[in-house]
Amino acid sequence: MKESSNKYLITALLLGLAFHGTSIFFTLETTYDALIHLFFADHYSNSWFEPWNYKWYTGFTVMSYPPLVHQSIALLSLIGGLKFGLFAVALISIVLFITGVYRFSLLITSNRTVAGYAAVLAVFSSSFLETLHIFGQLPSIIGISVLMHALPEIYLWLKTGKYWYLATSLSLIAVTVTSHHVTPIFGMVFFIFPLIGMVIMDVSREQVNSMKEVTFRVFLNSFFKLFKRIISFGMLSLVIIIGCILPYWINSKNNPITQVPIPHGSRDNFLEITSSGLVFFLIPWGVLLILLPYIFYRYYSKRYIFFGLSITILTVLGTGGTTPIPRMVLGETAFNILTLDRFTLWASVMSLPILGEFAFRLVHGDLKVLIQNKFGAVYHRIIGGILAALFVFMTIFTMSLSYFRPSQPQKIKMVPIVNFLNQDDHDKWRFLTLGFGDQMAWLSAQTNALTVDGNYHSARRLPELTTRPIERLENSKFKGVAGIGSLQQFLTTPEKYNLKYIFSNDKFYDPILYFCGWQRLRQLENGIMVWERLNVPPLSSILPKDDVAKWLKVLWGTIPFLTILIAFILNVQMLLVNALKTRIKKAPVYFNFKNDYSKFSRGLLRTTHFWSILVAGIMVYGIYLFYIKNDSHRSPENAIMAYYDALDFKQFEKAHKLINPESKISIAQYMLEISVTDGLLSSYAKLDAIYTDITNHSDSTASAKVITNWITPLEKIEKTEFKRAVKQNGKWYLEPDELKNDLPPDQLYADNSTSYFNQGRRRITTEQTHHEDVLKQPVLEVLSSKLVKYNNHYAIIGEIQNIDNVPADVVLKGTLYNDANKLLATYNAKYHVKHKLMPKETSSFKINFEGVAWSKTEDSIPKTFNPDEFTPVEFEEQPTKFNLQVDGNVSGSDLYKNIVVSDIDIKNESINGNLFNSGLEEITIPQLLVTYYNEDKTMLWVDHLFIKEGVRQQRKQDFEYEILKNGELNIINSDMKNIFVNGLPNEDISNKIVPNRIENHTNSELQKINHPDFGFIKFETNTYIGNPN
Amino acid sequence: MINKYTYILLLTSVLLSSFTSGQNQNSTSDFELLTTKTQFEAGSHIVLKFTDSDAEKPLLYCSNSFGSTVVVPSMENNKLHYKIPASIASKKGMVNWKLLNNEASISGQLKIVSKQEVATMETYIGPPSIEAGGTDYTMLVVIPTDSLDNPLAENTLVNAKHQFLSNQKNEDIFTKNLIAFKNIYSQLESGRMLVSSESLNTNSKEFTINVTAAIPTDFTISAKRPHDYADGNQITTFTTSIIKDKLENVVSDGTFVNFFITNKKGNILRTSGTTISGVATARMIHPDYEEDWSVKAYVDGMAESNVLSLTYKQVIDDFEVRFSQNNRDVTVGPLQSFMNQMIPDGLQVKLTISKDNLQLETYSKTSYNGYVQFILKSDIFINDSYKISIKTAGLEKTFENTKLW
Repeated sequence: MKESSNKYLITALLLGLAFHGTSIFFTLETTYDALIHLFFADHYSNSWFEPWNYKWYTGFTVMSYPPLVHQSIALLSLIGGLKFGLFAVALISIVLFITGVYRFSLLITSNRTVAGYAAVLAVFSSSFLETLHIFGQLPSIIGISVLMHALPEIYLWLKTGKYWYLATSLSLIAVTVTSHHVTPIFGMVFFIFPLIGMVIMDVSREQVNSMKEVTFRVFLNSFFKLFKRIISFGMLSLVIIIGCILPYWINSKNNPITQVPIPHGSRDNFLEITSSGLVFFLIPWGVLLILLPYIFYRYYSKRYIFFGLSITILTVLGTGGTTPIPRMVLGETAFNILTLDRFTLWASVMSLPILGEFAFRLVHGDLKVLIQNKFGAVYHRIIGGILAALFVFMTIFTMSLSYFRPSQPQKIKMVPIVNFLNQDDHDKWRFLTLGFGDQMAWLSAQTNALTVDGNYHSARRLPELTTRPIERLENSKFKGVAGIGSLQQFLTTPEKYNLKYIFSNDKFYDPILYFCGWQRLRQLENGIMVWERLNVPPLSSILPKDDVAKWLKVLWGTIPFLTILIAFILNVQMLLVNALKTRIKKAPVYFNFKNDYSKFSRGLLRTTHFWSILVAGIMVYGIYLFYIKNDSHRSPENAIMAYYDALDFKQFEKAHKLINPESKISIAQYMLEISVTDGLLSSYAKLDAIYTDITNHSDSTASAKVITNWITPLEKIEKTEFKRAVKQNGKWYLEPDELKNDLPPDQLYADNSTSYFNQGRRRITTEQTHHEDVLKQPVLEVLSSKLVKYNNHYAIIGEIQNIDNVPADVVLKGTLYNDANKLLATYNAKYHVKHKLMPKETSSFKINFEGVAWSKTEDSIPKTFNPDEFTPVEFEEQPTKFNLQVDGNVSGSDLYKNIVVSDIDIKNESINGNLFNSGLEEITIPQLLVTYYNEDKTMLWVDHLFIKEGVRQQRKQDFEYEILKNGELNIINSDMKNIFVNGLPNEDISNKIVPNRIENHTNSELQKINHPDFGFIKFETNTYIGNPN
Repeated sequence: MINKYTYILLLTSVLLSSFTSGQNQNSTSDFELLTTKTQFEAGSHIVLKFTDSDAEKPLLYCSNSFGSTVVVPSMENNKLHYKIPASIASKKGMVNWKLLNNEASISGQLKIVSKQEVATMETYIGPPSIEAGGTDYTMLVVIPTDSLDNPLAENTLVNAKHQFLSNQKNEDIFTKNLIAFKNIYSQLESGRMLVSSESLNTNSKEFTINVTAAIPTDFTISAKRPHDYADGNQITTFTTSIIKDKLENVVSDGTFVNFFITNKKGNILRTSGTTISGVATARMIHPDYEEDWSVKAYVDGMAESNVLSLTYKQVIDDFEVRFSQNNRDVTVGPLQSFMNQMIPDGLQVKLTISKDNLQLETYSKTSYNGYVQFILKSDIFINDSYKISIKTAGLEKTFENTKLW
């Protein structure tokens, strides 16, 4: 029989390459994973055989991910660079997927036309589109594709027992393993086991006359007949799975993943979190959802029964947290480690042959005849049209998803950052990116500098990271309080990680950087703000690594490509014969089991109809609910929700449309009012939760108590506001808020100030430190310091003064010891100090000892972290002594001091007052440092308050500070012996520079309060300027 | 490898010597050093010459504090010539040499001295800023070196020079242990000191030391204000006298001065300023009610000012409150200032509404064109009678049993 080329397959390949090959250039770089794979590829291209990578975290091993795809990109990058490698591998994966689906469908359906249909449909299948163009999971795609290529070979081995097929199937399994580890393991369970079942069925069928006669007994007989082949295949593939990526398994055993699970959308309840439902259920299933009855019907027919079971389990596991079953089946640990979307992907891939079959039967098979006979030709056309339209819609929708809801920040030009890191030895320190999304991987691939962060969370090692459910520090704001909590530990003690530079693409993080003692360096030409921290030592030239045996390195570097080579040699003949039709080949044995496409079951058609109507009904209801929830003028609650939502996303025009039009506030006026409000709440807060309580509801007006929770970089804010909504022309609107009318007396102000500039290097030289250009460290003096315990919470408090003649950046590092001089904890001063001091300026300080400060990290980290709330640390050894190391460095930035406490009103429980901005910069976040003293004016405690609103130039802002409630306060140690400034003893410095100090000089200016535990307090002010002029 | 051979050599020589001990008695001086000079100038051509009796060519081992090497001889006129390599010959210090022949070898020392010329003046000075007053000092360290980077001989004369204000001083110091150093003390004045040094007619470059003022001493403050009314709008500026240290040096720019204001109620308000040419300026907004302020400024722990008293006169003697719209619209005003002009926008007016001595709500608003309007919403305050009190500019008006409907 002369065999002609399968036109459908060729069409599918051409379509697939043209469609995906064009679109990957616009999608792949903005996917979640592609750039991570690129980073790994960069690693291999630089050091093929050395698995240790220093660039991420504090070093990690690339043996934590199967290497084939990365090594392929690395190899191709030698021709045209990393991105060329990435796109080339992506194109290969597209071809592999389409041909894989074709071969799998051919195996299942034994019909070339049907398999061709399946291949064409696979090109546009929404789960494939999503995996490639949104997730960028190349290894996963290659894994499943090669697995599909392996399936016919496995079938033929089991059925015919020819060793050739055993070799080809194992060679393909090996390629699968080296490209993705999870695919073959679960592939074994979900694809190969049912396939074995199918082979046994086929063998049984051959022994009897019809499918009906295949009884369990016959089946069992065939099973025993094939038992040897099955077992030999099973054992050998197990050997291959373990052997090909042996270093991976050894690494997993040595470094088990012992981290707090990171939330993933695929584990959500899809009904509650609809966005996860869309991405992890609706899109991958797509049109297949309508055909579910058909798919299940077909797979539950006797021959495919095991596929039926498999796809059922996959479907259920893919539902994530919607049903309790996945959690029960997988167990708590596996449930929290695995991303469950892959089950849906496999289920949808498994459905593709059946989808092809359905399409074939609908277009020119028995289904067409049945529908035309029963409902007429017009109905058939309409049904076909609807299905085709839905299919195309899902394709367009999936492809454009990242256009409408970008998953990544705008593309960042990396060259300025790379240049910055190469300049002036900046790569001698670690850096951190903020708000880069997955593009941080691309930056890491381009520079030699190291970062404390990373983008492959399974490989993290620092307890600061593994004990918190956050993926990256980089996007910590999306992880709420835990994320910010983890980030601020790195920001407070950066010298521990040699972290000196931060590239910020998100101004949200600016306040926390400032109040942790960082300063702005400059804005790069791509708009990225560079922050630096003074007094951080450079990385040592030799960094620690976990070395592995040489033979493991050699295995890791050679085996993946060997598997490809072997697979290629073994399969190339078949490939060429199939492609070029050089000789007539006998049809494979599974062609003996053709399906009968002559009589479509009427019941099935009816069920499909019912199901479609049901699905349509659910969709319509869902859309209706969505509309009700999102029609912002529909009810006062909706109006309030929509208003806050618009404010949160800075969509002021939308917010303005919700303001009562009767109030006659023009958009220009509204924007003006918005533009003059600055501060923590209006510029740096993200809405976390909102509760509205309608207190008074009439037909046309409603009052609402609105409680909003905001996450700011500094603290969690709960705000209660009273809003009034009115109904105009059937639509609900909000009444506008009133403005402050404070009017400064002058139009133009003049002010003098001292400004500073540090040249850096006067001479253009690459000398490490040109000794003439090194400024003297400013001399600081610790005026008082003591270790105190307040409500079970240890802290070092005190007062520090810059006694030099230049402004100083202050870093305070406290260490606690017990009686036996055992080190218990180390931490730096965070919010409770003015990090920049003018000459002779003083500041109170407090060093809190937070989670990671303690030497036994695991015990002490609180489950949930609130930046402002403190969890007392329980431990047996009591701190009794302390050591304080103070370092000063000359700094010319952030020296704005023109903030005045202009009025104060003391009550028993709180203090109300006014701050006045007497200078020419707008204060974005004012901070009050409040020091408590006892009746004898002995310093006891330091507290702080961030004022939510900013203060404009020459204007006032009121504040309310709640005095601390009574608390148990003990001074444990006030010995000032172990205090060092710039490495020198504090006392010597003090005696030399200020020998005749007036002790407790300003004690007469302390504010008296009425409090059982405290006698006096003192206010100091600190300011963060968001936009310095 | 070399070690191994050395050991084998040693062993064989021991063995051999035991056999031939009688013969070798007089052959110990197979080699004899001909060069008599033991001191050389760095960089000179140094050749050690030996007589050679039996045409053997042993290697010469030589070492100095930088490292060791062996030298292969050349034979000239039946004499062994060992040329000491430049890497050793150009470094000042002792060179130990030893002939590596089989028998009892001969060894010796050479002394290499630096050239008596100065090529560079390696100079270090620090700290780069010191305090005026004569107690603080900076240290100048000079290492005159020759063209081969060798420090010059002990007791080389170095002329340390510095200029400060009108003084210019030269001082002779001598190198000791390779370096010459001098502590330069500050004088009574602050200013800029330029330092250089000279040795054997070679001069160093210029170095700068900043002599900054010492800690400040007490000073006085004054206040300047457009008027003495408590209008809550104008700004009073506090200025210090020129702050100087005990030696009349003006403190460095940027010195931080704290101003504490104690008001009538005994509460502490606070403003601050940094000095420019010794004068710190701080601003404070006027209070919006009658006040007596006493102001004192501090440089913490070091200096303080006199106490300045300021009085602010009340501008608003009285204000009107009008109720309308079922008493739910409360208008406060006109709020008039000292010339009966409308008070500038921004005066704070507080309305407190309470019922049965229970405070329900406090609203704070700022005046606009001399008026403030409060609207008491019916859905917050049900129809009832309440006590309403209004506070502004230190005045308070209370309306008992105001009925809202």
